[in-house]
Amino acid sequence: MSEMVRKASVEEIINHWIMAISCLLLIITGYGFLFKLEQMNAVFGSFNTMRAVHNWAGVIFTISLFATLFNYLHEALTYDADDWAWIRMGGGYLSRMPVKAPPMGKLNTGQKLYYLAILLAGAVIAVSGFAIWQVSGNRMLTLVSHLTHNLAFLLFVVAVPAHAYLGTLANPGTFRIMVYGTVPIEFARKKYPKWMKEMGKK
Amino acid sequence: MSTTETKRKALLISPELCIGCRGCQTACKSWNQLPGLPTKNTGTMQNPPDISASTFNIIRYSEVPSQTNALRWLFVSRRCMHCDDAGCMKICPAPGALFKTKEGAVAFNRDKCIGCKLCVAGCPFDVPRYDAKDKIGKCDLCAGRIAEGLSPACAKTCPTGAIKYGDRDGLIASAKKAGYAKLYGEADLGGLGALYAFKDAPKIYGMNEDPAIPESVIFWHKVLKPLSIIGLGGVLAGALIHYAAVGPHKDEEEGK
Repeated sequence: MSEMVRKASVEEIINHWIMAISCLLLIITGYGFLFKLEQMNAVFGSFNTMRAVHNWAGVIFTISLFATLFNYLHEALTYDADDWAWIRMGGGYLSRMPVKAPPMGKLNTGQKLYYLAILLAGAVIAVSGFAIWQVSGNRMLTLVSHLTHNLAFLLFVVAVPAHAYLGTLANPGTFRIMVYGTVPIEFARKKYPKWMKEMGKK
Repeated sequence: MSTTETKRKALLISPELCIGCRGCQTACKSWNQLPGLPTKNTGTMQNPPDISASTFNIIRYSEVPSQTNALRWLFVSRRCMHCDDAGCMKICPAPGALFKTKEGAVAFNRDKCIGCKLCVAGCPFDVPRYDAKDKIGKCDLCAGRIAEGLSPACAKTCPTGAIKYGDRDGLIASAKKAGYAKLYGEADLGGLGALYAFKDAPKIYGMNEDPAIPESVIFWHKVLKPLSIIGLGGVLAGALIHYAAVGPHKDEEEGK
């Protein structure tokens, strides 16, 4: 058995699961509201129940998103020349030929940008959702909230499935981070050379 | 099943015929079993001051003196306009909460209303109201009555014909014959189910001259809703194609 490196703490793993499940629930119920899908009643019983699920899943998601600030924000705001190189080659994701990606830290450039996008869209969708839910009597506020809630929703339905695909099927060996939080040291050296160097495990 | 399609029904409201008796308000409360609420004198006959979840229609009393007429007192029936292209129905996220009857009335189902109040923002006429249980309440053109071929309670009780109910085309034709070149609501929002025969500019009667569904709601409906399907579908299809054509990332091949 090779030496394992801990990439995600237990708290991070639990929080990510809470976030993933609440996010999925929000997207599904969100589509239900967007297109008035009566079929949703087979799952939730009524739109009144679905509304409660959507609102409270939103609260859970928001708290969960806030908790990630302590885990990823600093890293997601740190960039160097390798990040620009990574962006120029698109992380090698779209290339059919195997390419050598620039050396990355604990999170790669795409993951950092993804995190910032989710953080921003998450803040927008949380604030606007709360306004739609709790504030009435201000027509302009409701209309702006309704519009921005749906704009942020658009980012979520594009970014989240892409994130899930890249973290599972597209990159074998990464999904275990969400379950165990650990990766074999050889894997870590290949994927996060700069982080390994920082940790003195090169 | 009837072989002829039900013609769209409407109300024709003629303020010049209204004597301000408010029989329509009383008949509405009576038929719809709506409670009377404590009110207060604000120095006008308009009472209650506004429509509410238990007051589906009111007569708006406005004093608009002009140079030729020092005492001009206008009585205008205010209620849901039963738009053909209804903003409330467009923005409503709950199926069946707001619906069109075959006569063209915008009716509601309290049990299916989820109390989100988005319809208030979508309505160009500030009509939807909410009760203490956060359920919508508004004029539904007496959907139960008109389904049985009766006229709405307000039109039935109006003693002067200021509120007339009938086939929408017929009402428009009769008003044209009576000398009204253009009716308010003839073409707005796909045509309103409440038509007004005004002798003056609608603004004088306190009406919105150019009612429309908010631009943001139209943009959301026409652009964002399709994009949310295209976006999700595109990513899922992209992932599938990537998996099939490129396949999962293989570390061994890197840097060869």
